[in-house]
Amino acid sequence: MSRIRSGQLRRPPQMSQTSGISAIMLDVLVALIPAWCMAIFLYGFRVVVLTAVSVATCVLCEYWYERLMKRPITIYDLSACVTGLMLAMTMPVTAPYWAPMLGGAFAIIVVKQFYGGLGRNFLNPALAGRMLLTTFPMLMTNWTDALHRVSVFSTVDVVAAATPMAYLHEGVLPPHRLSQLLLGQQAGSLGEVSAFMLLLGGGYLVLRRVISVRIPLSFLGTVAVLTLLFPQGNDPVRWMLTQMLSGGLIFGAIFMATDYTTSPVTPKGHVLFGVGCGVLTFLLRQFGSYPEGVGWAILTMNGSVWLVDRAGIPRRFGDRAFVPTRHFLARARRSVSQIKFVRPQLKLPHFVKADGSVAGEAHLDQYRAWGKSCGVLAAVIAVVVLGLNGLSQLTGLDTARAELVEQRELLRQVMPEASYRSETPYRSPYALSITAGYSDDEMIGYCVEVQTHGFGGPITMVVGVDLDGKVTGVAVTDHSETRNMGTKAMEKDYLDQYVGRSGTIRMSGSNCVDAVSGATATSKAITAGVNRALAIVANLDPEDDQSYEDGEV
Amino acid sequence: MGRMTLCGIHPASRKRYTRRKPLVGPDTPPERVFIPLELCAGCVPAIPTVKVGERVLVGQTIAKPGDENGVALHASVSGTVEEIRDCPHPWGGSGPAIVIRNDGAGLLFDGLPDPVDPAHLVPQVLLDRVRQAGIVGMGGDAHPTHVKIAQAMGRVDTLIIDAAECEPYCTADQRLLADRGDLVLQGALALGQAIRAKRVVLAAQGDQIKTVEKLERWLLKKKISVEVVLLRSHYPLGEEKQIVRAITGREVPPGGAPVDVKCLVLNAATVYAVSEAMLRGRPLTHRAVTVSGRGVVRPRNLWVPIGTPLRDLIQSAGGMREEKALFLVGGPMRGVEQKDLNAPVLPDTNSLVCMLPEERAVSSPQTPCVRCGRCAAACPMRLVPAFVVKAFRLNDMGRLKGLHLQDCLQCGCCTYICPSQIPLMDLMRKARTIVEGGDRA
Repeated sequence: MSRIRSGQLRRPPQMSQTSGISAIMLDVLVALIPAWCMAIFLYGFRVVVLTAVSVATCVLCEYWYERLMKRPITIYDLSACVTGLMLAMTMPVTAPYWAPMLGGAFAIIVVKQFYGGLGRNFLNPALAGRMLLTTFPMLMTNWTDALHRVSVFSTVDVVAAATPMAYLHEGVLPPHRLSQLLLGQQAGSLGEVSAFMLLLGGGYLVLRRVISVRIPLSFLGTVAVLTLLFPQGNDPVRWMLTQMLSGGLIFGAIFMATDYTTSPVTPKGHVLFGVGCGVLTFLLRQFGSYPEGVGWAILTMNGSVWLVDRAGIPRRFGDRAFVPTRHFLARARRSVSQIKFVRPQLKLPHFVKADGSVAGEAHLDQYRAWGKSCGVLAAVIAVVVLGLNGLSQLTGLDTARAELVEQRELLRQVMPEASYRSETPYRSPYALSITAGYSDDEMIGYCVEVQTHGFGGPITMVVGVDLDGKVTGVAVTDHSETRNMGTKAMEKDYLDQYVGRSGTIRMSGSNCVDAVSGATATSKAITAGVNRALAIVANLDPEDDQSYEDGEV
Repeated sequence: MGRMTLCGIHPASRKRYTRRKPLVGPDTPPERVFIPLELCAGCVPAIPTVKVGERVLVGQTIAKPGDENGVALHASVSGTVEEIRDCPHPWGGSGPAIVIRNDGAGLLFDGLPDPVDPAHLVPQVLLDRVRQAGIVGMGGDAHPTHVKIAQAMGRVDTLIIDAAECEPYCTADQRLLADRGDLVLQGALALGQAIRAKRVVLAAQGDQIKTVEKLERWLLKKKISVEVVLLRSHYPLGEEKQIVRAITGREVPPGGAPVDVKCLVLNAATVYAVSEAMLRGRPLTHRAVTVSGRGVVRPRNLWVPIGTPLRDLIQSAGGMREEKALFLVGGPMRGVEQKDLNAPVLPDTNSLVCMLPEERAVSSPQTPCVRCGRCAAACPMRLVPAFVVKAFRLNDMGRLKGLHLQDCLQCGCCTYICPSQIPLMDLMRKARTIVEGGDRA
């Protein structure tokens, strides 16, 4: 027996490591578990339901899409589960259940499957889904404080809280201690609040060799250095640590930026990518209109991975340190030398023809025709411009006038004695704006614009408070309450109950207002808003940063 | 003493099957040996100088070099030349080989050259000796050693003796060092003096700390200045360019050889053969072979005549456990699969690994590349297999040319590490042939 086996020779190597894609994804899931458990502890059982909805949406979308497109079913590689879990972890606990559904469907179908499935997408699906939801007003900015566990079924009684990022965006340090930030006792998305648990998961991933430390370390390091160099306030180290521990920075650096498909391939590319994410995060946090910039920073760098990949090709083995640079410069010089200036070939009208004769009548006719068409064109343009201008002038004036009337009406309702109001230097993370009301150049009170949660959504209202801390008037400017039910609590009769009151107003007992029957939730919301406005005015002090506790005055 | 390198992989070493088994002769001497005329890579086959029916003794020259670079062949057993015919070759295919019927006496040829004194070694004498002794690279490349030494003569400052067997299972060099390390070190010193190297380094790997201690004690006693370096084990450390970088920190330029950075790398077994040729006058007739893997009953390290059929090795190792084992010459990472066990042991055959299916990779189906970057992190030559595969699939020749495919060592790290089970090394090789073909056209 000379032939042991027939057939083609196997190609070396005959050994291989056994971990596949699904094992890697399982590791990522395991690494997310500590932060997820912490989220359940902090925000209650609603976290579990949100996660279940999100994961189920992602897996089902993947399954159905692949079924429809007759592609091989890939739900068993667990990548859809990872996307679902990550998406859920980036949501506030108050998010309605349709939010993860929409985000998950967008992430899996549009971002992942439209581009060809696992390994082909150029944006991180979970992050893209989350950022789509961010564009919905008020959906992803409704934070609740930690340990204030939210009911599974409704989010009505949630007291809104400001995230540390909101403080930082205003340029002040949040009142949280660093240990609170580290453990997650802050308002924020489900997964991002507990830095400690996230670092635990990150350590697991690094030890399991699922991710390398290059991206997280360069990302976090860049943000740390930049925030240390450009601090606001007089404690750079504390500013830096607070920036690092609040918001989605650590979650983004460990779990989002290290997504294989949407990060560079080479080690050098990893570092470039991390530094790019860090710089963008810093810039967006410092100068952006949103308080948080990690998500946008990572998505932007995802989009430029092809560029980073080219820059990140490692130095060839055996080449000296500057050989790639020299090659690049030589190539650039060659390319530049290829560029030649080509003189534009302008055709000027020939008055004297090539054969020496002068142009005749036909030539003049041609010029006349050109002139005519140019004139017509100019006339049309002029008419259009003038028309547009006039229209905009008219409507602009109308809008401005309407606005003025509206403002005056609002002021009359809120602070009847004032004749005008103007900007104040005061800010508070709980008020949309604080303006001062004046009567004949003398300040008589503040108008505070606040937002609370009503029965059907946020209620925006302006509360006038005089210098003695008494309510001068209340006006609701925006709401989404049920018509003829909730709106009853916005009629003048009800709102007038608040006028002249001070201190904490209750719904029963002393210093109380009578709730409108059938609109209790709205009444409560308005009372909460008035209380908050009173509290803000009571704590106004230009020197001190506003440390306002939701509650008694 | 361990030095960190960040690339490469760490496969299960599986050396524990044989690392404590001393070198022993085969249980029964082979009945016949097959000595292929084509022994060294890149040279013309040798020309037989014996006739069929002639009686030969151990160490007797049986073929003369085919050209300048070629080496002489020697009988590894005593007996009669039976025939000269086509035999299976372990590198694949078949080629003409001299078949010697073993009489079992093992009589040494009496016309062997006299030993030379290493202290008064003339370089030309050394080169002639090495060539006459038929020494080729015994670590796997099988290039004639005298050519390598001649190129390095006077041009190198570091002589590296490579005893870092990075292939899993292989322990032949390790055992050679443990059992006959003094001869290796003497040879290394003599070679270093002959080529005027300032530094002679013996590079051992990971789990050989006891051997290294023993050798260092011996060196201290004899007052010989050979550096013994223990490197942290990883694959492919035994590769010339890698070991030069690990020992000296120099990188061999693209397309170059270690000589370009003033280094000469010789395998420990090669140095042992050189040492035997100089100090005892004996040509290359035997070598150490590891027979390992779960496929054999008694894995061991054997000291066998060159030309012994692989089947005899398995017999000496207790026989096969199962028929469906995979037979590899040279280790699981780079080894060549053997279909015909009549193929003989060559000077570069350091191991015969008989792997059972459960020892091999679970061959899960191939999935799309997720750009995890592990291949780029593992590649010892800093190539990016992921980009190569993408450009290859898109047929982007311009991109492929810029990816330095000619640097590829074919070490298989990328295929080993890929979580998507993509045969990256194969694709790299295909892409390389296409690019080189395109260059020629």
